[in-house]
Amino acid sequence: MPQTPQMTDDASDEEIVRRTLINKDAFALLIKRYEAKLSRYLTRLGVGLAEDREDILQNVFIKAYKNLNSFDPSLAFSSWIYRIAHNETMSFFRAKHARPQVILNEESEMLITELEDEMADTSLLAEARLSKEELTKALETLPQSYRDALTLRFFEDRSYSEMSDILQVPVGTVSTLLYRAKRALKESLPKTFLP
Amino acid sequence: MNTQKDNLIERVLKNIEEKHLTPRPRYEFILKNYFFWTLGALAVAFGALAFSATLFEIQNVDWRLSVATHSSFFSFFLSAAPFVWIITLVLFILIGYINVRRTNHGYRYPLSIIAIGAVLTSIALGTALYAIGFGGRIDEAIGDHPPFYRPILATQREWWLAPEKGLLGGEIIKAAADLSSFSVKDFSGHVWNVDGSDLRGPDLATVARGGIARIVGVPVSATSTLFHACFVFPWEMRGDFRNAPPPRPLAAVASSTQAATTRSDACKNIRPYQQLHDIDD
Repeated sequence: MPQTPQMTDDASDEEIVRRTLINKDAFALLIKRYEAKLSRYLTRLGVGLAEDREDILQNVFIKAYKNLNSFDPSLAFSSWIYRIAHNETMSFFRAKHARPQVILNEESEMLITELEDEMADTSLLAEARLSKEELTKALETLPQSYRDALTLRFFEDRSYSEMSDILQVPVGTVSTLLYRAKRALKESLPKTFLP
Repeated sequence: MNTQKDNLIERVLKNIEEKHLTPRPRYEFILKNYFFWTLGALAVAFGALAFSATLFEIQNVDWRLSVATHSSFFSFFLSAAPFVWIITLVLFILIGYINVRRTNHGYRYPLSIIAIGAVLTSIALGTALYAIGFGGRIDEAIGDHPPFYRPILATQREWWLAPEKGLLGGEIIKAAADLSSFSVKDFSGHVWNVDGSDLRGPDLATVARGGIARIVGVPVSATSTLFHACFVFPWEMRGDFRNAPPPRPLAAVASSTQAATTRSDACKNIRPYQQLHDIDD
């Protein structure tokens, strides 16, 4: 594995970016830091096969490397690289003419709880518990843009501002997307979960 | 997992190494950003030109006289409203939006904010351009080229070059001392001898001033260049200082004895008599 001299694991993303522009080996730290997170994100976006995820991830990091100078330090680096990952994944789906799968892994219980809490707050959901399968089915019926918004908000725990930077839409549009996504999800859920 | 991580890191770095990949220089991104801002600004500037032409058209279409030139206000509206310029304005605002969206932080601005900003800027710049006389030049210069569009001046000249319908427009080049007759050079260059015996005070004042005027009346015959005038309206150009010759004083304003209080039956038979009579008053 290439060495990244003078860079430690607690260096900020921005410092690593600056360092990478001088010494490309420093890029390894960024890959190490984001590989697992992005891989999970890709799964949540619907890339089911591990090989596909690896290919996309490789493209994401190469694209990020080539465009490092376009990274604007006024944004979070994570938003920037998530944006690349999102765009790359959408291109992948378009090229494959594939419909993204909804894959809820072992973390889904926690995610369901988060979603339930959020929806209970907005009076969209009754007390009944959602199962992973029921949530998967409901999510599958949603348009991609709604799923993207729900994924970033509830599964990736992103703020509206970060979502705006990742999806490249105004913050107001993020709010609208989330509101509509939650309503659409409510309509897709079995009747037993509705108030 | 560690092996996978190492694999990905190695694969990416190896790829970078083998393909001799380097980060694209910063200036490329800066230039690209400026490029889209410039395109956005240019689109707003073109929007401003379109707006100045729109203002010029609106200002120079005499809505009051639509009763004489068109059978209904709707047909007048269809032929006079500056649709082409309005569509052009909207189009350039959209182009501006698309380009601003492609700048670094452009995606943060909602369409409504960009559209309102672009419209207001176009209106402000367009009004300034109109005020310094650009509206007419743009209407004539750009408007002459597209096959689907005619400048408003050309369109109006066409409306008022229809003596057989009782509409005559042109420059008053000479008038009798008592204004009972005068000569008009129409927009195609023909000179008409116009009988002014039916004209009243405001009409005579217009004739006395000279310059370009619009005359509603009755052709004496289908083959001659004699015209019986019932109403004369000045044609004052607004927002253009190039084409309109200044009025030349041809005669003293008619005395009250010259101003007939009632018009002959020939004039009363023209279709929008009452409306024109009201405008003339």
